Amino acid sequence: MIQFVIDVVIRSVDLALIAIGLSSVYSLIRFPNVTLVQYATTGALVALGLQMLGLPLIVAGLLACVFVGAVAVVLNVLIFERLLTAGSAIAMIGSLALSMVFSAVFLVTAGPRPQRFELDLNPPIRFLGARFTDHQLISVVISALAIAAFALILFRTDLGRCMRATATNPVLARGTGINTRRVTNVVVFLSGIMAALGGIGISVKGEMSAHLGMEMLLPIFAAAILGGLGNALGAALGAVVIAVAETLVTNVNFGPLVGESFLFVPAAYATAASFLLLVIVLLVRPHGLFVSEVKRV
Amino acid sequence: MRKLIVTAALLAATSIVAQAADVTIGAVLPLSGASATIGDDQRRGIELAVEEVNAAGGVLGGKLNVIVEDSGGRAPSALDAAKKLVTVDNVPAVIGEYSSGITIPVGQYLVQEKRVHLNIGSSSGLVRQLGEGSFSLIGLDNVSSGFAAQDVIDNGWKKAAVIAPNNAFGQGVVTQFEKAFTALGGEITTAILYTEGQTTYRRELQQLERGAPDVYVYSAYGREAATISREAFELGIGAGSSPWYAIYLSMCTSDSDPRFIQGQVGMDLNNIGANGQAYADAYQAKYGEGFRSSFNGYGYDAVKMLVAAIEKAGSAEPAAISAALVEVGADYEGATGPIVFDADGQRSKQPYEKLKIDDGIKPR
Repeated sequence: MIQFVIDVVIRSVDLALIAIGLSSVYSLIRFPNVTLVQYATTGALVALGLQMLGLPLIVAGLLACVFVGAVAVVLNVLIFERLLTAGSAIAMIGSLALSMVFSAVFLVTAGPRPQRFELDLNPPIRFLGARFTDHQLISVVISALAIAAFALILFRTDLGRCMRATATNPVLARGTGINTRRVTNVVVFLSGIMAALGGIGISVKGEMSAHLGMEMLLPIFAAAILGGLGNALGAALGAVVIAVAETLVTNVNFGPLVGESFLFVPAAYATAASFLLLVIVLLVRPHGLFVSEVKRV
Repeated sequence: MRKLIVTAALLAATSIVAQAADVTIGAVLPLSGASATIGDDQRRGIELAVEEVNAAGGVLGGKLNVIVEDSGGRAPSALDAAKKLVTVDNVPAVIGEYSSGITIPVGQYLVQEKRVHLNIGSSSGLVRQLGEGSFSLIGLDNVSSGFAAQDVIDNGWKKAAVIAPNNAFGQGVVTQFEKAFTALGGEITTAILYTEGQTTYRRELQQLERGAPDVYVYSAYGREAATISREAFELGIGAGSSPWYAIYLSMCTSDSDPRFIQGQVGMDLNNIGANGQAYADAYQAKYGEGFRSSFNGYGYDAVKMLVAAIEKAGSAEPAAISAALVEVGADYEGATGPIVFDADGQRSKQPYEKLKIDDGIKPR
């Protein structure tokens, strides 16, 4: 049971960081940016490269996050702002195309082989029968702190108020003197940082591969939609729901039903479980589980 | 008149060149992807054989060339590579691949194009069905899994959890091992076919653990096996009294961090035959290290057998090579031991050895 909770927490924070970024950017510019998952891979790749150059992982990770945040802003200004004038569907397709360009760049730079950060030997810590490693613990704590910091910014600062005002009614926000373009770019910057942090976290616990981002695409969209697209903290809860579904389906022993001692759903079907859940929830609550400040397109 | 003489001389010259034409064969190997380490090791064996053949005067009076193409560890790229070798380079014979799931489509294509196919790394039983013109230099999985099952039982482990990749190779290993193991009185607690190329196998490992087996039997490709071994270590699975048993130990541990695989046991191809010592020495001399894996010798033997067949046939036509290979394979002593083809062109005898990891691969 404890192991189940730990597995859910690990998976949740991986999903939540990127899903929150996706949802909060959506709340401001009204299109789901597919490229965001590739920012996660970029973050992991840059951090890996910097570590290979001899920087300590913490420094490499920080630099990578800032770099990815900057890339996100530049791409937003150069590409997405222009595409958005043609409509949100166009912008979304543009972001899909851009993420394919990213995939190609990853294959050329990092190659098809998964790679790993240089890390110390990491024996398991045992806690009430459950096992985890200190890398997992550190990564989860950092991610949780990042989510908490984002929540503080959103609800306790002027910037957060401006963000929420812009999300609720951009015309009115502009009318009251809020520079909505600047607010949007700050949020894009933060979403890039969180995506990079998510990518680094996933790679520290497992491996970095060129396909990391695209593999996360569907569960992250599911988490963001479950949380009510545009609702940043709803996305975090959506991530928990998806993580529970995925972990549950691979942990339940179906053996007794068919008269065998052990029969498990193959782990590759875990994602399918989260989609089934998504479809059911959308049938019952078409706007997601949690109330959103934004109505979907 | 002078012009005529020059032309005649040129004609004579070209005809001499044509008679002693170079022979070019092809190879499709995983030089990148999860099995890149093994693929490169296969390439080393081929490279050594080519150097040796050319130093000894080549084949049919000409030079021997081998064009090595990268499969990337993916069936579509492997097929593209094989098509390029057949249609552009027009090679009579192709050696390859490594993973059964890729060797089979490549072999099917070559058989259909009436070229000779030499399997040097795949052990799936399905390879047997490729048909005429396809030969295996390596023992197939009914033989290897039977050997592994007996070895596991002999160690006193009665309950086994099995994990292997979800492809032709892995399915073969799991079914054949299960068959042999239960026939010997053992019990399979959980058998998992994992999806290739994942960045984590934590979920699969936890499913395996639930059955509380005596031993974890696995067979996985280099990089994936490295991830499995590391995560098993991090979860503490296999650390206590239930060890890891690797089918093809050198394949499973080629990319693993030594700290995570210490104490694993397993079996592998006994890849050095009675007259393989000279080959082992040549390998050591050229690459400055012992064998990276158990698979390089098969590449070496494949080239040597092809050359023997071409010399015997006196021609580099695929049909002639194929017929001559049957004769050569009636009784051939290769670097990897005696290679004797059965009626399907598959190696009928394959020696194996029992190994363990104790600061490197050691006999057990």
